[in-house]
Amino acid sequence: MRVGRLIVFLGVAAAVAVMAATAGARTSSARTTTVTFWDAYSAGGGEVKTLESVVIPGFEKTHPGIVVKDVTIPYDDLHQKLVTGVAGGQLPDLVRSDIIWVPELANLGVLAPLDQAMPDFKKVAARVFKGPLATNYWKGHYYGLPLDTNTRIFNYNPAALDAIGASGPPKTFAQLVSLSAQAKSKGYDLYAESGTSCWNVCPWIWSNGGSVTNPTYTKATGYLNGPKSVAAIQMLVNLYKAGEMPGIIINSNAGLGTYDGINQNKYVATLDGPWMDAIFSAAYPKTQVAGSLVPAGPAGSISVVGGEDIVMTKSSRNKTAALEFLRYMLGYGTQAQLALAGQMPVLTSSAKWLTRVHPYYATYVKQLATAKPRTPTPKWTQIDQVITTDVAKAFQGSESVQQALTDAAKQIDGLLK
Amino acid sequence: MVVGNVRRAHTVMSARLALLSAGAVVMILPFAYMLSTSFKPNALVLSIPPQFLPHHATTSNYTQAWSSNQFGHYFVNSLWVAVVTTVAAVLLSAMMAYALARFRFPGRTVAFGLILVGLMVPGLMMLIPQFLLAKKLLLLNSLWGLVVFYTGGNLALNTFLLRSFFQDIPWELEEAMVVDGGGPWTRFWRLILPLSRPALAVVAIFTFLASWDEFTWALTIINDPSKYTLPIGIALFQGQHSTSWGLVFAASAIAIGPVIAIFAVFQRQFVSGIATGAVKA
Amino acid sequence: MRPSRLTASSNSGTTSDPLGRSATALRPRFRSTSVRRRKEITAAYLFLAPGFFLFALVILYPIVRAFQISLFNWSIVPGTASHFLGLHNYSRAIHDPIFWRALENTGFYMAVTVPGQIVLGLATAVLLDAHVPGRGLFRTIYYLPVVTSWVVVSLLFQYLFITDGGLANWILHDNLHLVGHNIDWLGTRWMAMISLGILGIWKGVGWAMVIFLAALQGVPVELKEAAAVDGAKAWARFRAVSLPAIRPVIAFVTVMLVIGSFNVFISVFLMTKGGPLDETQVLLTYMYRWAFSYLDFGYGSALSFILTLIVFVLALAQLRLFRRPAEARS
Repeated sequence: MRVGRLIVFLGVAAAVAVMAATAGARTSSARTTTVTFWDAYSAGGGEVKTLESVVIPGFEKTHPGIVVKDVTIPYDDLHQKLVTGVAGGQLPDLVRSDIIWVPELANLGVLAPLDQAMPDFKKVAARVFKGPLATNYWKGHYYGLPLDTNTRIFNYNPAALDAIGASGPPKTFAQLVSLSAQAKSKGYDLYAESGTSCWNVCPWIWSNGGSVTNPTYTKATGYLNGPKSVAAIQMLVNLYKAGEMPGIIINSNAGLGTYDGINQNKYVATLDGPWMDAIFSAAYPKTQVAGSLVPAGPAGSISVVGGEDIVMTKSSRNKTAALEFLRYMLGYGTQAQLALAGQMPVLTSSAKWLTRVHPYYATYVKQLATAKPRTPTPKWTQIDQVITTDVAKAFQGSESVQQALTDAAKQIDGLLK
Repeated sequence: MVVGNVRRAHTVMSARLALLSAGAVVMILPFAYMLSTSFKPNALVLSIPPQFLPHHATTSNYTQAWSSNQFGHYFVNSLWVAVVTTVAAVLLSAMMAYALARFRFPGRTVAFGLILVGLMVPGLMMLIPQFLLAKKLLLLNSLWGLVVFYTGGNLALNTFLLRSFFQDIPWELEEAMVVDGGGPWTRFWRLILPLSRPALAVVAIFTFLASWDEFTWALTIINDPSKYTLPIGIALFQGQHSTSWGLVFAASAIAIGPVIAIFAVFQRQFVSGIATGAVKA
Repeated sequence: MRPSRLTASSNSGTTSDPLGRSATALRPRFRSTSVRRRKEITAAYLFLAPGFFLFALVILYPIVRAFQISLFNWSIVPGTASHFLGLHNYSRAIHDPIFWRALENTGFYMAVTVPGQIVLGLATAVLLDAHVPGRGLFRTIYYLPVVTSWVVVSLLFQYLFITDGGLANWILHDNLHLVGHNIDWLGTRWMAMISLGILGIWKGVGWAMVIFLAALQGVPVELKEAAAVDGAKAWARFRAVSLPAIRPVIAFVTVMLVIGSFNVFISVFLMTKGGPLDETQVLLTYMYRWAFSYLDFGYGSALSFILTLIVFVLALAQLRLFRRPAEARS
């Protein structure tokens, strides 16, 4: 039994170690309120570090009696964890939720309507951008406030752009098409896209004057498969068929990812968000990245709104304290700190000082002015999957663009009911 | 003992070695790459084309992984959970296996059949019911919640293996103890268990491994970062927009360490244990 | 006399007692038989109870609940009513083309990985079943993939299989020039399933190898020598002596590998996400999507029950296939 005894001994030793280590955590004072906050801030780029070493200590210092427990969850698993949390009735006080999940969560009835639960809601809401604010709206109420926003702009490698003989980044669809051919002849892919979901292709659809649904979000047929939407996708499909876009748009394992490709001088540009600069300066310090507006179509340069909202759960038992932290997260100090880590602020006043944090923000602010949100509906995940699959079929060539979009629109109609 | 003529045996041996080595290279190549990446600074990218020898080798990924975000803490958590689970699972399944192997009682076939069913069910399907159950049992957000469910989850396979092993132990040995007045517990503890050390080693390693690597359940019920286990810690190095491969692989290398150590040390026991455990299954 | 475990044959001895106890042992003792029986039954229950109670609680009960969920259009918010559907979720699966595709993919994965692991595992075990120098080292190296987490190896192999510039193509195409153009490992349905199968085999070979090695080491040398004396060459010896002797082990390994292959999830989830275009969906990734992305737990549970049923039927079939009539033990 030597082995057995050894194992038992190890276990006891480890147990004692763990107990001792966690002992400290259990002696929290009865007079402090703990606010639990779930987020998916990334470890790279400084987001988590800023939150835990600057923001939260700052809050706790100015709000004695409230302790914030931050639970960072890998982004890919956050939705699943929220779902099990809902099923088990185990949700935190606050969540930094992707904007596309808010209608779904609100529809499940697990979020507190902030316009009722927060006495100063109107005042705080007036200080944030209207577009991001709208992502919190569901069936007559606002279920959260925007926390950070972002959009996609045309991010390119200036050195590569030079190498293909371009005088500047493409400003219109036509310039994009002609530059792509030019890039190909020099051995580059001008524009690399990493997928076919709405996040990827909607900027092109909207810039061309098309849309996914009608303005009241009840119907997709006639809109997603309307002539303008079809033409936008067709333009991209033509580029792909001409070998001017890398295969990663259908198959993420076809080659280099967008960042790696830009860094290694295979791709010139992609559409991406403000985190790109933080990531490149950390991981690829030798490669420069510049940004310009999404090439404009007949309807202008219209990109897609992304970002996260901060929501409070109905089950929270510390709503007053939670709201305090929520307000703090929307304060100038926090927003500015997080801006340094690539998180674009949602405060309208930030337009004045944002470019001082980082000059590259200027393009993002401009792009955000016209950016559109994706369809707010609880079934968005499923709808997005339909778009992804059917648009990929169009790229693959197994269906024509018109056919693919018509199929998609029909399925989406059913989901919007 | 050599069967056949000696010269041929030498050629055969060289052929064996050659094939085994070729296979070993294939087995180890991905790991070699993983290790080499873990020594590259700032590896946000797995470089294409691949670089086996890092240009500027550094241990910074290891130090960063260990010191970031309570990683060392996650290591201890995983260790504690794995050890306690292993001890509990081995004990409980040995008891069950003994009952199934040695005694006749009503419901024996049904019990064994249900245990077999437990082997076949995908864990993912039970996630929500188990979560609801854990909530009722007040096991949420606790390492004990992991231990209880991991132990339960390992009982089926362990019992299955141990039962066949116990069946092989000659009854005469036990009978001798019966004649001397030994009750079942004495026979179990003093005879069966010591004789089954290799099989217990097998079952222990399987259980340790399953617990050490488990991700989904841990992610589901733990809400306190100080209670995170290693697999969650490694997953945290994958960001929303990019992944620090150097950190991920350094962290994974740290995670593999203990299991390989245990396997290397207990190898011989493990192999001989499987010999008579799985053989008669 | 019941054969002890030192001899190789796997058999049922000369009595009909399922525990193999000798006739002497079973001879009814005077007077205390029923007391003895009761004590035996009590002891059995006492040994069984703690483990079985835990097993029933955390495994069996959730299985029942999961089946219950599959009969409803289950609403995940606690306290809200769920709409009873009977077996509708099951018939929905039968009419779902992607379910069938996932089933085919999973079956294909099984057909690739199970024979692969058995053949390669057995071959490696045979190679190691000798006084090879560095045996312990080889065993550890081959076992290394087994002890590594699926998450890590999936990410590693995803990198390996990248079409343009991944390690595999770099070696085969750019360096060794064994293939004319880059292989699109994960880009099309069957090639991707094969690639996933390669990962599955790579990861599992060590497990099968260790088990087979142990079994081979249990084959008595005398039998092999006898065959050699009869003039049998190595391969014939193997077929006539070793293979039959380890037949039950092969059965066990096969059943376990089949169960494991049907439960493939993490590698597919991380490497292809079931794509491109849902072409590499397997049963569990498809179930995960319905349950956790679309919040339709009723359908997800139904899908996993169908999976369990298939695995169960396959396992039974295999056990029947491998059992020789003389060996039938309950």
